[in-house]
Amino acid sequence: MTVLGRDAGEIDALVTDRYLDSLLAGRPRLASAEPLDEAVRLVSRRLAGELPRFHPSFRFEERLALRLAEAAAAMRLPLAAGGERGASAVPIPLRPPAPDPLGTPFDDQLGERPEGRTVLVGGAVAASLSLAGAAWLAWRRRGSPMARAARAAHQQRTRAGLRLT
Amino acid sequence: MVEAARRDPARFDALYRRYLAQVYSYAYYELGDHHAAEDATERVFLGALANLHRFEERAKPADGDGASTFRVWLFQIARNIVSNERRTARRRPTEPIDETTVVADPLNVEESVVRREEAGAAMRAVGRLAGDRRRALILRFVDEMSTAEIAGVLGKSEGAVRVLIHRALRNVARDLGA
Repeated sequence: MTVLGRDAGEIDALVTDRYLDSLLAGRPRLASAEPLDEAVRLVSRRLAGELPRFHPSFRFEERLALRLAEAAAAMRLPLAAGGERGASAVPIPLRPPAPDPLGTPFDDQLGERPEGRTVLVGGAVAASLSLAGAAWLAWRRRGSPMARAARAAHQQRTRAGLRLT
Repeated sequence: MVEAARRDPARFDALYRRYLAQVYSYAYYELGDHHAAEDATERVFLGALANLHRFEERAKPADGDGASTFRVWLFQIARNIVSNERRTARRRPTEPIDETTVVADPLNVEESVVRREEAGAAMRAVGRLAGDRRRALILRFVDEMSTAEIAGVLGKSEGAVRVLIHRALRNVARDLGA
């Protein structure tokens, strides 16, 4: 041990460390007052000059950037739906904003629905809205089998209602 | 940059672009295979994004404007993932990377060949070092980290890292016949 409380190995390591700091900063000291092992100096200069740095392919970089963006977007959704920053209410109109030029008799009944409803958009709610929207469209399109089935069911319910009254 | 990403995960992209090559280089030196390095790099950044809320900034105002310990935290994740990958693949790097990976200069073929051979020899010598000695040299010379940063990544004291690097350099010098 030395008077500084460090052994010779630690002092050599400290001298090497200072040399590496200056070498990697682009200012290698030509003449040092500190006795640096010549083999260590040579190999340090060699590694600093010869060890290459690698970069992944552009394709990989952009693909991973996209995945990270998707993951980041998924992390933002829970926040919007009631996470740390509270719920975000998004008004979704349940009727088209303009009258349908191919209007059907069922439009009158649709007019009884509320104009719009505030809905929290999350995965399940959005999915149910999509299903309701698809059923509504099928109802209005007369040609499709689903529309025929929907109209038949509606007419049956209407007749039954009339019989009851 | 880190605070912005914590507030809005979409801002993580800036951190990703800044550290991608460093993490990839580290993974490539450790795994010796581009595909394995890409897989590991992907897991590092996805893991970092998912756990960004756990990151604790340890830089102090005295460390300078914009100082951050984010890189140390990111490389702690990288070290764990890459170490697991090495264990799983049981790749002990006696010949991790060959000199053909070093880009040649098309205008000076002869010098390029010599440079590639020398670089390949240096890379192989580093690859033959044991665990933390190898990691410390890669982080010091390839990623140009300070001793304090390497200490943070490897979970050792700065003094221990200095000794580790000094001994690693003597090993490589002997290996290369310097």
